[in-house]
Amino acid sequence: MILLQSPSRYLLQILSTRVRNLEKGVELDCQWIEFDDVRYHIQASMKNPNLLVLSVSLPTPPPETVFFGGLPPEAIEAIKAAYGTVVHILDPPKDGFNLTVKLNLSKLPPDEEHRQELLGKIASIREVVQGAPLKSVLKQLVSRTVKSELNKLISLVHRPNESFFVVPQADKVTVVFPMRFKDSVDSILATSFLQEFVDARRTAGLGNAPHCLWSPSPPQELKGAPAEALLANAGFVSFVISPRHVEGRKLDRTVWSLSTFHAYVSYHVKCSEGFMHTRMRRRVESLIEALDRAKPDWKKVKKAVQTRSFKRLVRFESIVALVMSNSNVVSPHASAELFFPLLFSCRASMMDVQLQIPEIEIARSAEEPPSQSVKLQNLREPNSSKDSHH
Amino acid sequence: MANTSRLYLTCIRNTLEAAMCLQNFPCQEVERHNKPEVELKTSPELLLNPVLICRNEAEKCLIETSINSLRISLKVKQADELENILTKKFLRFLSMRAEAFQVLRRKPVQGYDISFLITNYHCEEMQKQKLIDFIVQFMEDIDKEISELKLSVNTRGRLVATEFLKQFI
Repeated sequence: MILLQSPSRYLLQILSTRVRNLEKGVELDCQWIEFDDVRYHIQASMKNPNLLVLSVSLPTPPPETVFFGGLPPEAIEAIKAAYGTVVHILDPPKDGFNLTVKLNLSKLPPDEEHRQELLGKIASIREVVQGAPLKSVLKQLVSRTVKSELNKLISLVHRPNESFFVVPQADKVTVVFPMRFKDSVDSILATSFLQEFVDARRTAGLGNAPHCLWSPSPPQELKGAPAEALLANAGFVSFVISPRHVEGRKLDRTVWSLSTFHAYVSYHVKCSEGFMHTRMRRRVESLIEALDRAKPDWKKVKKAVQTRSFKRLVRFESIVALVMSNSNVVSPHASAELFFPLLFSCRASMMDVQLQIPEIEIARSAEEPPSQSVKLQNLREPNSSKDSHH
Repeated sequence: MANTSRLYLTCIRNTLEAAMCLQNFPCQEVERHNKPEVELKTSPELLLNPVLICRNEAEKCLIETSINSLRISLKVKQADELENILTKKFLRFLSMRAEAFQVLRRKPVQGYDISFLITNYHCEEMQKQKLIDFIVQFMEDIDKEISELKLSVNTRGRLVATEFLKQFI
């Protein structure tokens, strides 16, 4: 997955399972966080299986961002327009959340296709609520209605205590993202990613994409912004959105991709770090192999390691040692007699242990019982390469 | 790349061949101890002159020798910030697995990125020539790995950017 999808996958899954198993009507109460900023909470009771209560907590806005009653401007209108009668906004919202809505599943459209579409739309409630102010700015661009707030800096929250800026103009809208990352490695990787945005824009196929600029210092547009909003360790990215980027169906996608731009970059930074780790692990393996080659018996070492584990070896050898210590008191012939049943019983009891005992040699040693030390040596033979290595 | 660094690597290889003549030598200060003298530096008569091989300011190799141990410290070139963090990440990854490498030092010598410590015991259980081969291959691999990592980061960045911008068309 390269692009982030706007419906929250988990929420969509919950909703569609719920709709499918409506008659069961089990209790439901779960919370989760998306992209490290938006928190969701969904509840349903047994009493009224058709009703679901969904709460959304948006990231805390920095002081320069305007929120009306805990929500971004025009969010309420956007919710009403998008969902109609299925969704009912509860006022005040639950404690610790910015928005609480009641979903009435009995009012879902009866046919499967429309229902899935609406569920997908509910699952992308983040896009509707958080993207509402950006959407209204971009809508003005489409209709080319000249507003009084032309050239005025609008700040919109997208991360906890962080905002991005929108500058509406008559024929374009400039969106500026101050990019901040907590981790210094992340910020360096992100910087190189962001520079690729500028380079990618110059390639032939993307001539119609929005103009993209990256600079380590705040651009001209941010002149009126407060000082703490102008601190960014990965520089500033600006996109110049013109009317052709927000025509018709493109509007929703543009709103979504702009409002989750930071999450998108950060997601790919993490992905590439994961990829780097896999690579490094592989490289370590090949280097260790190169070092093993320096050992005189590295081929044997490899084989010995494959055949048998150390633990099994110890178990077997302790049995042998026991037999040998017992055989001190009896005659050599008796020791062989004692040894065989013990040996085979131990083989039978440890079915999984594949001891490659040199049986012929044991047999020979039983025929003409030599001294103990020779016998021990014979038994140890298959492991001798390992022993010598240690 | 391979051709330009060949002289540097050959020089290191020759120096190592000359320097790696280690013998068992018990500690002179403490009875029954046997320590790598190059680390402790207790007695100057046991140390040899260190050799510093520089390719340029950013890339150098310090070989310190003593009677029973040898220390090789490498500084890897870091052209920009991205290479810097990739090198740091990778070498840290390697140092954390120093036990698997036996001859790798857990911490690099100050001013260097990664260090090896070879004692006479390593020389006894491994073939000297192969050990030198390993050090040289290690140096080559680090360079290769870092440039490949950098390339992969840039490629991914380009792909990510292209896909993002394609949405607007």
